[in-house]
Amino acid sequence: MFFPEAMTEVQLIVPAKDLLAVTDVLGTRGVFHQIDSTYLGLENAGPNTWQERSAGYAAVERRIQVILQALSLKEEYHASAGFDTKADLEAMRAAVERIEADVKATGEQANAERKRLEQLESQLHQLEPIADIQVEVGALRKSRYLYSVPGTIPASNVSRLETSLSRVPHVFFALNDDPQKPVVWILGPRSNSDVIDRAVKSAYLNPLVLPEEFEGTPAQVTATIRKEIESSRQKISELDSALAKLADTHKNELYKLLWNVHVNHVTAEAIARFGQLRHTYVVVGWVPSTDLKFLTQRLKNASQEIVIEATPMARAGHHSNVPVAMHNPPWLRPFEMLVKTYARPRYEEIDPTVLIGVTFPLLFGAMFGDVGHGLVLAGFGWLLSSKRVPALRSMAALGGLITICGLMGTVFGFLYGSFFAFEDVLPNNPLFKHFVVLQPLHNIIVILGIAIGAGVVLLSLGYLLSLYNAFRSRDWGRLFFDPNGMAGLVLYWSFLALVIAGIATFILHFPVPAPIFVISGVLIVLATFTGVVFSEPLKRLVEGQRPLIEGGTGLFVLQSFFEVIEKFISMFSNSMSYVRVGAFAVAHAGFCLAVLVFAGLASGGQNTGIGYWIVIVIGNLGVVALEGFIVSIQTMRLHYYEFFSKFYLGGGLPYEPLVLPSAQES
Amino acid sequence: MPGGVSGYAAISSRVRAMYADLLTPQDVLRLSDSPDFSSLIGSLKNTVYGAYLDSLKDKDVAPRRVILQIKRKLADSYYSVIQMTPVETRPLVKQLYRYFELGNLKAVLRGLVTVSGWNTETALWDRVREVLFPLGPNSVLPAQAMIESGSVPSAVDLLRGTPYEEAVSFAMKRYSAEQNLFPLEVALDLSYWRRLWSEAEKLTGQDRQHGVKIIGSLLDMNNLMWAIRYHVYHKLSEEEVINYTLPFGYRVHDSDIRAVAAGADIAPIITRIYPQISDANSLLEEAQAGLPKLEFELKRQILGQCAAAFVGSPFHIGIPLAFLVMSDLEVQDLIVLIEAKSSNISDDEYRPFLLKPSLLNSERTSKQSD
Repeated sequence: MFFPEAMTEVQLIVPAKDLLAVTDVLGTRGVFHQIDSTYLGLENAGPNTWQERSAGYAAVERRIQVILQALSLKEEYHASAGFDTKADLEAMRAAVERIEADVKATGEQANAERKRLEQLESQLHQLEPIADIQVEVGALRKSRYLYSVPGTIPASNVSRLETSLSRVPHVFFALNDDPQKPVVWILGPRSNSDVIDRAVKSAYLNPLVLPEEFEGTPAQVTATIRKEIESSRQKISELDSALAKLADTHKNELYKLLWNVHVNHVTAEAIARFGQLRHTYVVVGWVPSTDLKFLTQRLKNASQEIVIEATPMARAGHHSNVPVAMHNPPWLRPFEMLVKTYARPRYEEIDPTVLIGVTFPLLFGAMFGDVGHGLVLAGFGWLLSSKRVPALRSMAALGGLITICGLMGTVFGFLYGSFFAFEDVLPNNPLFKHFVVLQPLHNIIVILGIAIGAGVVLLSLGYLLSLYNAFRSRDWGRLFFDPNGMAGLVLYWSFLALVIAGIATFILHFPVPAPIFVISGVLIVLATFTGVVFSEPLKRLVEGQRPLIEGGTGLFVLQSFFEVIEKFISMFSNSMSYVRVGAFAVAHAGFCLAVLVFAGLASGGQNTGIGYWIVIVIGNLGVVALEGFIVSIQTMRLHYYEFFSKFYLGGGLPYEPLVLPSAQES
Repeated sequence: MPGGVSGYAAISSRVRAMYADLLTPQDVLRLSDSPDFSSLIGSLKNTVYGAYLDSLKDKDVAPRRVILQIKRKLADSYYSVIQMTPVETRPLVKQLYRYFELGNLKAVLRGLVTVSGWNTETALWDRVREVLFPLGPNSVLPAQAMIESGSVPSAVDLLRGTPYEEAVSFAMKRYSAEQNLFPLEVALDLSYWRRLWSEAEKLTGQDRQHGVKIIGSLLDMNNLMWAIRYHVYHKLSEEEVINYTLPFGYRVHDSDIRAVAAGADIAPIITRIYPQISDANSLLEEAQAGLPKLEFELKRQILGQCAAAFVGSPFHIGIPLAFLVMSDLEVQDLIVLIEAKSSNISDDEYRPFLLKPSLLNSERTSKQSD
């Protein structure tokens, strides 16, 4: 829960005879993250036959799909038909060829007739826009002075074609306004035929091939084509009946074949990524350590001679190639989503889901403290999760997060003594008055101070987590000399000590011993040099990289100067960023006060009546919606910008276990 | 998901975090200081690209494999951004991403025309696969099936139901007649950019303002380079240049394109549209060498414009778009570096084509003024 699942690298040496059984176990259990291990195979072992087999199965699968299409059968996998991973490709191919031969002649006839029908309909469609023209189509082709090109053109090219013809005299007719394929007719002098041809060609105009076999005006030709279409449709109907009979005959066999071929295809594709030796195969991948024992047992059952080498992966060091499986209880899933949105953790890193499962609702609740508003928000979150409202189903994943944040808003509502904007109900209630600790509008400075204090704690926690991450990954340079490492933490704390001592002495006139100033000052200087100015050279020194300073001393000095300024500004601004937690708590109370004032005005100062309550209801809903949005944005910002940036790198590989279709379907 | 502040809060935070991971001009310069290809890879492993390169075994560290891995990061960035983009603007980002799918489609068609017959079917797919952008399951392109279909017409048949169907249906007649991919590729390009522009124009408010600016600038560059290339290199007629270009953009207007098509002097047109490019005359003196330099200058303009998108209100589509374009340009820089180092090309020859370092001075100036 605090870290991604511990992973074990598994290397299997599988005897060729047990290959299918082992692959079946790996794909059925759904825990094995496969790595392409072809590179471990023998280079002179010849061509990868499984790759060829996979391509062979894929080709047969496509042929079956074509047959299904020809027979108007749905392309679907019938898992119930069972499968046989030892099925012979040749035998399946032969079966497909047999059915193909049976279906082919009728199918091709039907296709040819459909194409003819399509062509006739296209000719009819082409002639329809010019059906009223009392000119023999053939005569236009033979004109001595006039050059004409009728044709269909992509709708988007029409205006461009007109533009491109602007330098030659021409007439442009748009004969219909089909949104996809409008028909246009361009007429111009024959002397400009070359320009017109180039223009229409480059505008992708497909000239109408007016049927030469039909004579007469467009109207006469149209009538003839209509008769041909009728006859073609009749023929297609007869061929379709014949195909339906063939579909009945072959349906079951085709679906069985399709399923067998599909399973074999996917299995062969997985095996093609194994390393092939002379009599064995090398399989490499990752398994969650908790599943290793069960998987090992299943593998040994499948193959007596299998060699299994499992290397548990320690979290120390860098492991960018280890897949990361996040393992959190269901109630933390919404927060896991927030973490993943930022970045998936690295294997060696802390998974911050639990942490933000606590801090996110806390910060949200502190800014949104109202018992009633919190309950409304929690109710809305529950409604989203329940998927009862179809329009909100797409937001169901956010339901849990909103519910938890709403409930935390309720908790803080008790602490602030706020109930649906009324600040005097809970403090005057004999039971609830004991919970009221701090009312934001009455304790503005205190609440802002607490917010900054909470920020300092969270930022310090961020630094400590950064140290922990650096220690776990044995990244000593980062641990000691990074601005977010030990030097950064010392700098931050001594900076805070100096600021606090300064405020105490000069503003509060509280005597602070002089050594505190001296020690803080010395630590600031030391930490500035180790954690900012010489951070990069020191890190390079620890990691054994040379040169220590890149880009010349001048650039280094300039860069260091600005980095020191930036570091101090960011330390200050990062801490002050958290003041918004208190500020939004005050703003929330301010909004509530405004609602009460408006309600009072609406009731003429009586604070009762229908107008009063209407304003109260609408005002509260407005506050919930507006503040809900703003506060969630601010909470996210505080986590992504201020908190995560201190310790969280992210960038882990997703864990994608191998799942064969047989396992999926069963 | 609604737009505005609420719609862009999460994505804006995320993109800014990802933006911080982009290589700085200094990083790119440092990488270019690597003495050879293997030390370049060593240095790259210390950057955010390290996570993508670590999975490569030593024997796989060939330039093509490295480039493929580097592109995976870009694909991941697109995936993250698309997931978080508000519903209203998501089609635009998705269409922008289709640019790589369009590239894959062209690579598949070229593979069928130029590589077919070299080897067996499997080998052909393996060859083509290496140059495809790793779109993963987000692609509607049946690339392998297209290659295995063995011919351009059969491959194009497999595009039924995809956004490319309409464009290729008209262009295939010309391909059949001319046996040349040029008309197919031009039709696909025009269709892609038309869709992208129309998605940008559908936006409203700030989204539209920023979307049109960034997409329009990309379109300007392509449109202008097409017009110049068709006119200067391919010697196409005025009407052909007009039909093979688009009448819209951000700074480049139809009248500019038509002027290029009609044979007007190109340098003054460029200087008028892009006053920052003062040496257009010298760039166009020798077309062979000058046009790549001009394209580089136009990309620089775009990079600068994208960096500027991060200033001001963050709640609009401009920031995600700018980040994605900058990520793409960063990958282009890295490809230049990888190819240069693996081919032992001298620094003087390739460094002028590195985009990020060329902005070093202007970036410094803007940082100081910030």
